[in-house]
Amino acid sequence: MIRNDLADAQARAWQRLAAPGTWWTGAERVAIAAETRHARDCPLCAQRAVALSPLAVAGAHVRLDSSLSDAAAEAIHRIRTDPGRLGESWFLRLREAGMSEEAYVELVAVVAVVTAVDTFRRAAGLERLALPVPQDGAPSQYRPRNARAGLCWVATLAPEDVTPDDPDLYRAHPGPRERYGANIQRALSLVPHSMIHWWDLLEAMYQSSREMRDFAREYRAVTHPQIELLAARVAALNRCEY
Amino acid sequence: MDGATATGVPGGAALLALADAALGPDAAALVQARAAVRASLGLAALIDTTAVIGAFDGITRVADAIGIPLEPPKAEQAADFFAALGIGRFREAKV
Repeated sequence: MIRNDLADAQARAWQRLAAPGTWWTGAERVAIAAETRHARDCPLCAQRAVALSPLAVAGAHVRLDSSLSDAAAEAIHRIRTDPGRLGESWFLRLREAGMSEEAYVELVAVVAVVTAVDTFRRAAGLERLALPVPQDGAPSQYRPRNARAGLCWVATLAPEDVTPDDPDLYRAHPGPRERYGANIQRALSLVPHSMIHWWDLLEAMYQSSREMRDFAREYRAVTHPQIELLAARVAALNRCEY
Repeated sequence: MDGATATGVPGGAALLALADAALGPDAAALVQARAAVRASLGLAALIDTTAVIGAFDGITRVADAIGIPLEPPKAEQAADFFAALGIGRFREAKV
């Protein structure tokens, strides 16, 4: 039912959840994934989602996993349930509570992967995937030496600043990865393996940059206009300006 | 965005209904919307439609959780319909 490249990309992305990351262990990453799913049942999040402002509703999240820090739980729940109203002051409060920008970026990638796969499968009428079994191993703690602040809330690694020590994030066109460095592509680059984790999945679910710009050919069973109509609708429903 | 304007995209109404239902709480509406897309566009299109919906449910979170700004050329190109659609209100709600 699912085309092979999509099924393969989804399977890889799912297994990557359980592997040791850059800043979180495999067990922590799976815990983040589980909390992402659980956030939709959190009464505090439900109240905040309909409030004029999330700040108007005080309280504590109902959490699945108490091993995650309060800051991690707040990040997971807000990103999952109310992403359109996240502001930099909220992010800075997480930093003040002890969350590093690197750990945050990796957490965002895990939440995004779980959200994307779960939403796809629910929409398509497919069974939800069981979370993978965590793998042993220590996080690498790799931070690109040329990552710079200034673009957004966290440091990012621009394509022109990539060094031979960095994993292949972008690769100039026409490589297998053809990411030219749009802001959205740079978003997770502070944690290269998280960026690759997310974008390998996204490109199979949506299109690569090259395919997106090739209006002379359709790469999916829906057309470019149909794809962009869907993308715009989901962005509007999530109150995403970008 | 309000569902009242024709999209000019083949199958647009069915696609939008599926996107709405996929992100909404009504399981029955989702079943109905999914069947409509499958009937009108086929199984392969249904899979690719739902994959795009899932992809953007994820990527909107990346954009908003990282605070990514819209590139100036894109912002300039989009200025008129951003204003017409009131998209600026999204930014005002961020705290």
